[in-house]
Amino acid sequence: MTAVALPGVGALVDRVRDAAARRAALRVVGQGTWFDAGRPVLAQETISTRDLAGIIEYVPGDLTLTARAGTTLAEIVEATAAHGQWLALDPHGGDAGTLGATIATASSGPLATGFGTPRDLVLGLELVTGAGIVARGGGRVVKNVAGFDIARLLTGSWGSLGVITEVSVRLHARPAVDESIIVPLPAKSGAVERVRTLLRRIPFTPLACEVVNAALARALGAGAAPAAIVRLGGNREAVAAQRAAFDELGSVREIDVSVWQRLRTIESRDAIVFRLSALPARIESVWTSAAALEGEGALIHAAPARGIVRCVLRRSDGTTAAAASVLSSTSCSRIGERLPSELWAILPRPGADALSRRVKHAFDPAGVLNPGVIGELE
Amino acid sequence: MSATALPSTSNPPGIIDQALADRLAGIVGAKRVLYRPSELLTYTSDGLPSYHKQPGLAVFPGTRDEVVAVVRVLAERHVPFVPRGAGTGLSGGALADGLVLIGLNRLTRILSIDAENCRAVVEPGVVNVALSRAVAQYGLHYAPDPSSQAACTIGGNVAENAGGPHCLKYGVTTNHVVAITAVLPSGEIVELGDTEGEHEGYDLVGAFVGSEGCFGIALQVTVRLSRNAEAVRTLLADFMSLDSAARAVSGVVATGIVPAALEMIDQATIRAVESSIYAAGYPTDASAALLIELDGAAAGLEHDVATVESICKSSGARTVRIARDEAERARLWQGRKKAFGAMGRVSSHLVVQDAVVPRTRLPEVLERIHEIGERHRVRVCNVFHAGDGNLHPNIAYSAADADETARVHLAMREIMRACVDVGGTITGEHGVGLDKLEYMALIFSPDSLATMCALREVFDPERRANPGKVVPMHACREWTAAPAARVTSRGRA
Ligand SMILES: Cc1cc2nc3c(=O)[nH]c(=O)nc-3n(C[C@H](O)[C@H](O)[C@H](O)COP(=O)(O)OP(=O)(O)OC[C@H]3O[C@@H](n4cnc5c(N)ncnc54)[C@H](O)[C@@H]3O)c2cc1C
Repeated sequence: MTAVALPGVGALVDRVRDAAARRAALRVVGQGTWFDAGRPVLAQETISTRDLAGIIEYVPGDLTLTARAGTTLAEIVEATAAHGQWLALDPHGGDAGTLGATIATASSGPLATGFGTPRDLVLGLELVTGAGIVARGGGRVVKNVAGFDIARLLTGSWGSLGVITEVSVRLHARPAVDESIIVPLPAKSGAVERVRTLLRRIPFTPLACEVVNAALARALGAGAAPAAIVRLGGNREAVAAQRAAFDELGSVREIDVSVWQRLRTIESRDAIVFRLSALPARIESVWTSAAALEGEGALIHAAPARGIVRCVLRRSDGTTAAAASVLSSTSCSRIGERLPSELWAILPRPGADALSRRVKHAFDPAGVLNPGVIGELE
Repeated sequence: MSATALPSTSNPPGIIDQALADRLAGIVGAKRVLYRPSELLTYTSDGLPSYHKQPGLAVFPGTRDEVVAVVRVLAERHVPFVPRGAGTGLSGGALADGLVLIGLNRLTRILSIDAENCRAVVEPGVVNVALSRAVAQYGLHYAPDPSSQAACTIGGNVAENAGGPHCLKYGVTTNHVVAITAVLPSGEIVELGDTEGEHEGYDLVGAFVGSEGCFGIALQVTVRLSRNAEAVRTLLADFMSLDSAARAVSGVVATGIVPAALEMIDQATIRAVESSIYAAGYPTDASAALLIELDGAAAGLEHDVATVESICKSSGARTVRIARDEAERARLWQGRKKAFGAMGRVSSHLVVQDAVVPRTRLPEVLERIHEIGERHRVRVCNVFHAGDGNLHPNIAYSAADADETARVHLAMREIMRACVDVGGTITGEHGVGLDKLEYMALIFSPDSLATMCALREVFDPERRANPGKVVPMHACREWTAAPAARVTSRGRA
């Protein structure tokens, strides 16, 4: 299936209106790097925002940036780094993806521990609804309560309410010192919980803190034991004190900051990927549920401060069955990223409740945008 | 309507009459249903003294079940209503012109505190500061801190997506709300968000926060609590020009240090504060003062304090004072937090504006505002969240003076336009309500406004919750051919 790239918002509007009139479902993609993420979509035609690209406005002193949806994260990284700033959003998959898709899927990565998720960074956006109407929510300034919050509603809507065409985001100044450390952890139960209680107690929040299992540590070239990998930021004195706070976990050593990039790009495109989560204090039990997949070679990592565990598995009949058994037996929150369809069938359907269906209908009355992607279909 | 009773008619849809009052009294008790004008006086305005609208009736449920029962009776009869928390809103949002006002200030229970996970579940009438006080014993607080925090409610904060001085570093209400249980105007109860794990699906919490009472009533709110900072330093820097103060703001932000708060107070405000009971020791001859707070881990904090101090000095600060102890810090903040109150003493009326501009445009916008004020011969005071570019140009005036009142309104309109012209917005935290309705079209296209109406109708297809607020009515007409039922009479006898 080839994706038709639309050169401008006008062309996109025409295309969506035409599809709505014909009731012909559209698969909406950015660069297509995550093409197979999310629930299976029932669509014959694919449109791409990749040609709606480019930064529209970036005033470093305002710490805000507005770009067209098809702009890649890499381009934003480059533009902002030149001014010692960043968009503190590091979704798994790397920087080849587009800003629009990152916001549409509410994708985040390790930096979410320090900076929150896309809903905390989005200031405003423009979209084309399923009826082909161009609308905006929010604005370009860092604080705004004018009108109902269309921007947050669209964040994480997976393209099912509208095609996002432009996004304004909040940036952060890069910390003076950006240092990463790794602490090997004992391969026994209670290790993740120890990291969580430490994070709860210390007087700062690191930029990122992920616990990785032994298989993932090996894949990252970061030793053979489970470990906590922590990203610290601040002035020199602050970072030195932060680093010392982790001594009680084990022997702390510095690790090159590139470890984060490797973590974001470690999985193959056809891997099985899902997340389990609960209140942070339950992290150990969530981790234990996921650890049942270690025998299948699962790469597992957790953000203890957020109560989230993420599992990556090679795709095979065996791993699918093992994942099915974990996903159907746990009581915590389960979110699929990339799954074979039999696993999607096990998971809850977040778009199936009456209110979500009404939202979908209001924005996409003909049901042409990514139908099925949020599980709204019967 | 007579002074003592409501009309006892049959009850066509939308009518507020004796039968309705009786039904509601049956739910909440007769003492909790008010309809005499004298009893309703308190509820004819909110924090903005310039609007007065009398509710047709006010009802004060005491429990969540009573709220739901009240809403269901109103749904049955298609009667429009307006939720109200503490009534401190600054956009006329809680005014119920001839409608039913539902007061939520009796729902004041903190239902649970989970210190380990930094969560609390509260009823909507819990006063903002009461929550922070209740969790202080765990070394926690609720971060969004509107200057009205001693009075305003969490329900009102959710409805307005309230901010406050410390939101520069810690985020506004929407960044701290995890889940909401709400009753929709139809009487349906919905659970938005996820109280435990990660949420998947539409961000309906995000949509509800900031919906200004138009989507229904928040019955229960799960919020995130924040850990108290290990160390706090509060600085007061005073400047001989607004421009140099604004440059110091940009300078601080550019370093990457994120102050917990970065507030600007201009000379007119300083003088109002210093001549009030809230005198904080601000230098009255300064053109502007910056109140800057840095917090976080103790290690490295002094280094940041020194950096900020030197930026202020190199931008032209005359003196930089660092609070020596908690008492001095509290006093510096008291002046800022009570500034509106102090200005209210200067004149009988006060318009409070709430625009946001890109931070780098602050100097030129402050200049513009000054020029507009001079031209219209009105006294503009600026006290605002400078770190966010969130301006609060306020004008104190006498409403008895028709000419002055007219000049105030002209000046305000020009100020709003000036802020929008540089890429700003019309409200950063107070909401649109009634007061900013006329400015919505300055920043949103008819299609954007119609899309907002469509979202509202998802929650409230009859448009009965806080009707006529946020989105101008005319913008809503075309989008949906025929909303289920239109309220034809406002029921004012
Ligand atoms: C001196 C002063 C200083 C202020 N400083 C700030 C500030 O720093 N930052 C800031 O953001 N605001 C500030 N405000 C404005 C105001 O305090 C906030 O908007 C606050 O959130 C309103 O809360 P409330 O309980 O008084 O709500 P109300 O005024 O009673 O109502 C406000 C809106 O909320 C709706 N509402 C109330 N409760 C509910 C509910 N349970 N469910 C659904 N809708 C509901 C109402 O219908 C109305 O639209 C200030 C006000 C004053 C008077």
